[in-house]
Amino acid sequence: MTTSTTKAVLSTSASASAARAVGASKIYDSGDAEVRALDNVDAEFARHCYTAIMGPSGSGKSTLLHCLAGLDRLTTGKIYLGDTEISSLSEKQLTLIRRDQIGFVFQAYNLIPTLTARENIVLPIALAGRKPDAAIFDRVVDTVGLRDRLSHKPTELSGGQQQRVAVARALVSQPAIIFADEPTGNLDSRASSEILGFMRRAVDELGQTIVMVTHNPNAASYADRVVFLADGKVTDELANPTTDSIIDTMKKLDS
Amino acid sequence: MIKFTIRNLFSRKFRLLLTSLAVVLGVGFMAGTFVLTDTLGSVFENLFADTTRGVDAVVRGKEPFKDRGHHGTSTRPPVPDSLVAEVTSVSGIRGAEGNILGYALVQNKIGEAIQTRAPTFGTGWYSEKVAINKSLVRIPKWQGATSRRPVADNEVALDRATAESGKFRIGDSVSISFLSVPPQSFTLVGVLDFGGNENGLAGATLAAFTPARAQVLLNRCPGATGVLECPTGAGSWDQIEVLGAKGTSEIEVRNSIRADFQPAGLKYDVITGQQLADEQVANVKQNLSFFNTFLLIFALVSLFVGAFIIYNTFSITVAQRTRELGLLRALGASGGQVIGAVTLEAFIVGIFSSVLGLALGVGLVKPLEGLLSAFGLNLPSGPMQILPRTIAVSLVAGILVTMVSAIAPARRAARVAPIAALRDQSLPPSSGRRRYLWGALATLLGLLAMGYGLFGSSGSNAAVLVGIAAAIIFLGTAMLSPLLARPAARLLMAPSRKITGQLAEQNAARNPRRTASTASALMIGLALVTLIAIFGESAKQTFATAIDEQTKADFVISPKGFLPFSPEIATTVRNRFEAKFGSPGAVVQYRDAPVEVSGSATSAFGLSPDFQSTSNVPVRNFDRAAFKQGGVIISDAVSGARRCLASSTAKALVPCRVGTFLPMRFPSSGVEAIAVAVAGVFVDAKAIGYRGDYLISLSDWDSRFTDAFDQFVIILRPDGASTAAAAKIVNSVAKEFGGVKAQNKADFKDSQLAQFDQILGLMYVLLLFSVIIALIGIINALALSIYERTREIGLLRAVGMSRRQLRAVVRDEAVIVSVFGSLLGLVIGIGFGAAIVASLRDQGISFSLPVTQLVIFVILAALAGVTAGILPARRAARLDVLRAISSE
Repeated sequence: MTTSTTKAVLSTSASASAARAVGASKIYDSGDAEVRALDNVDAEFARHCYTAIMGPSGSGKSTLLHCLAGLDRLTTGKIYLGDTEISSLSEKQLTLIRRDQIGFVFQAYNLIPTLTARENIVLPIALAGRKPDAAIFDRVVDTVGLRDRLSHKPTELSGGQQQRVAVARALVSQPAIIFADEPTGNLDSRASSEILGFMRRAVDELGQTIVMVTHNPNAASYADRVVFLADGKVTDELANPTTDSIIDTMKKLDS
Repeated sequence: MIKFTIRNLFSRKFRLLLTSLAVVLGVGFMAGTFVLTDTLGSVFENLFADTTRGVDAVVRGKEPFKDRGHHGTSTRPPVPDSLVAEVTSVSGIRGAEGNILGYALVQNKIGEAIQTRAPTFGTGWYSEKVAINKSLVRIPKWQGATSRRPVADNEVALDRATAESGKFRIGDSVSISFLSVPPQSFTLVGVLDFGGNENGLAGATLAAFTPARAQVLLNRCPGATGVLECPTGAGSWDQIEVLGAKGTSEIEVRNSIRADFQPAGLKYDVITGQQLADEQVANVKQNLSFFNTFLLIFALVSLFVGAFIIYNTFSITVAQRTRELGLLRALGASGGQVIGAVTLEAFIVGIFSSVLGLALGVGLVKPLEGLLSAFGLNLPSGPMQILPRTIAVSLVAGILVTMVSAIAPARRAARVAPIAALRDQSLPPSSGRRRYLWGALATLLGLLAMGYGLFGSSGSNAAVLVGIAAAIIFLGTAMLSPLLARPAARLLMAPSRKITGQLAEQNAARNPRRTASTASALMIGLALVTLIAIFGESAKQTFATAIDEQTKADFVISPKGFLPFSPEIATTVRNRFEAKFGSPGAVVQYRDAPVEVSGSATSAFGLSPDFQSTSNVPVRNFDRAAFKQGGVIISDAVSGARRCLASSTAKALVPCRVGTFLPMRFPSSGVEAIAVAVAGVFVDAKAIGYRGDYLISLSDWDSRFTDAFDQFVIILRPDGASTAAAAKIVNSVAKEFGGVKAQNKADFKDSQLAQFDQILGLMYVLLLFSVIIALIGIINALALSIYERTREIGLLRAVGMSRRQLRAVVRDEAVIVSVFGSLLGLVIGIGFGAAIVASLRDQGISFSLPVTQLVIFVILAALAGVTAGILPARRAARLDVLRAISSE
């Protein structure tokens, strides 16, 4: 299994959606009661689009993200990345897809402490045994403003800088889709808006596709579209959201 | 706190087991050694109690001086046959009989010697009605036929094991070789059990003849030639065994003989049967205690390596529990309580592993016996002896090692501040400048101590000092080695351009102290392996040079076992050369010669006066005539020492040189020293046969020594004789006499070198224990690191690291640690080896480096590292990505 074949499989896709969940259910069997983390979810995430997934704790938003990203497997249903149905892929194939087609930004522990910022950024490319494209690398590094921090180890960076490195890492391999799990959850508001701004620019200027889980209405307002989840079901959707419209929708859902 | 500790310990059973294993193996090795030697000790005790069964007192020749015990030749003179009558006439004595135990090698039906490494004995067997010594017990029937005592000169009885191994039946012909007479055939008439035990001989073989026949066969009939049985009064005995009158005690019997012999008292030793048994047991026990010490050294090395593992494991777990310990402190636990908790944990691990180790040790006895017998050391077996001492020592050693190793980590744990509970990361390790200082100091101290031990002192204290110095050097370098961990990791992974290699390098360099102390455990094993390899290679090369450059030989005759052989062999070769080629060629005999010089027993060598025809060793100022008349050649080291006399009658000591006289005592020369003419000085002798400082001419041998047996014979064929023709003669003589092998120079060299290799091999295998323990340490440290880095591994997997790549990272880290450790060990081992070889320069040993072997060791260590990495790598690869990234 070479990387180029995986790449070929996904890039032939004519589909407009970058990722798609069809009848996705995830059931945890905890002895007495079964917990439906995802309950027959259908959702589509368009290319070149910045989508936020919102919902209260336990709504299944993180589970959905993990399943979309191939980190977790559904109980029933299907996940498509481009035209590739990933729920039937082997662990090996999933690894290659994660490496070549997906970018990740987590809430914390995004970086390998022993590697410098530069090494962290090119890690997925290095894992694939390739050389980073210098032009893309420069553009990404300049976009997130890390030029003078490249030789620093993560412990020498602030929380915001660490997340910028994580974003840069997600961007530099030019994945088909980036998944972000509460990327600003540990940051103060200034650092948060910086990160969210970079992600916005990645979609606008670099044509990236981003799916982001958050519970922060302000963060979600950077997105093109917000999908609301509650009790494992998609309950609502909002296009071109603002902080206010998001808060309104949330209130509506709560009641 | 106690409850907390115990729960904590047992919640991680796998870790507990791995950690314990490091101590279990060391303790097991130690316990196994004790059980093995105790068992052997009790076997020999029973054996010797049997040899004097029924004997009240023993009369034997007086030992002229205490021999150091490594000679094939006894210094105790035999007693004349006439003494039997004299002893019998002492009042209160019921009977006395002469006894001999000599060399007799039994051949099986196809002419192969029946022999393990144990001795092969011949003896005389008295009629059961009169026999005083009851150690020979007849088996009434052997495979259906009646078994009886030999009564004619062509009859023999064998012990059960030998008869079984040779598949002999009563009436079969048995060929037996002796030291002083050619091999002969006998008819088997009986089979016996020594001491009534089926395995009473502990591996030795025994052939029994009529006593008078035994005297002839076993070189105890000097007064008569051409007889089959020694006439009364003509022969001699090793000792006379006495039975006292009914109702007298052993001591009374002994005392009455002593009283009667008072005038001749100086000539003979009279002791009780019990004393003889005790003496023999003490001798064997002394040999066993060498053996015990030899094995214990390796066990201690294993324990020492285990201590490193314990230290490392506790250090890692304390570091990992920084938050938890901080929380305990925040909740009000004192530093002392934290120390207590960690120490208690160590105590429990110690008990757990000591008990397991003890059990393992008992289980190890059989494999250890098997191992030793694979290396040619056949040991008798008996009921296993597990003495309270073994149990106590094992428990104490295991618990102590574990607790001492945990002291430093416990103190570090106590230093964790309550605030650590709130911090995200564990505290970065302290800079360690003080540690490096201590390390440097310890290394220096160790080096000084070793230097003093090797060059400044002597005796067994020196050996102990060198051992302790080595341990201190190991500790010191282990403390210093973190300095090298980072560069070493970079260097080792430099050839790898892959990201996995880079990650492994970073992981190894992340906590240099951990990497270094994991590697140090392996360092010790490798250093010792290297040391042994260098020592062995140097000794081998020295020996090879001795043969190649300093010895001229077509053939060498040497014993098949360790015992010397009959001088008749050399004489026969000479005679047959003479008959066939008209010239005897050069047939040079070499003998071990126990002598006493300046009041202390020393080893000398006896050799034929024409020895220079087969030796290139230069002899300065050689006075050939003086040597031929029984003179002595001294070594360069003795030349000039104030030990000699200006004339054979002078009293004052003068420096030794040619022309002076060296006072020496020989086994047969009585109390007074004999002034022996110094006939030359030999220099830089590596050649075989140049042991010690004195070379004595064989010419006056018989008046000085009680036994005349050759250690080896070096032969140059006569001029004009073809090698093949000469070989035919030499081989046939060797075959006729049995017990010896004739080899050409190259084969002799190879077979001697092979013996070196066998001993080296045994030591390697024994060191393997400590290497295995070190590998367990690597497994443990990696497994703990992986546990610690769960998050990071999850992240790596999430961003696209395949399982294979992850395994490669862990494996590479294992390789870094193991190669780093073995390179450190290699350097230290080469240093030790050079130092020890240098200290042995007097013995003619010169340094030689077995490069190929050392390269192989490092490659093996790297492979072992890969193996050690397998388990942790699989654990890492099995981590569930999702759980890893969401774990706290």
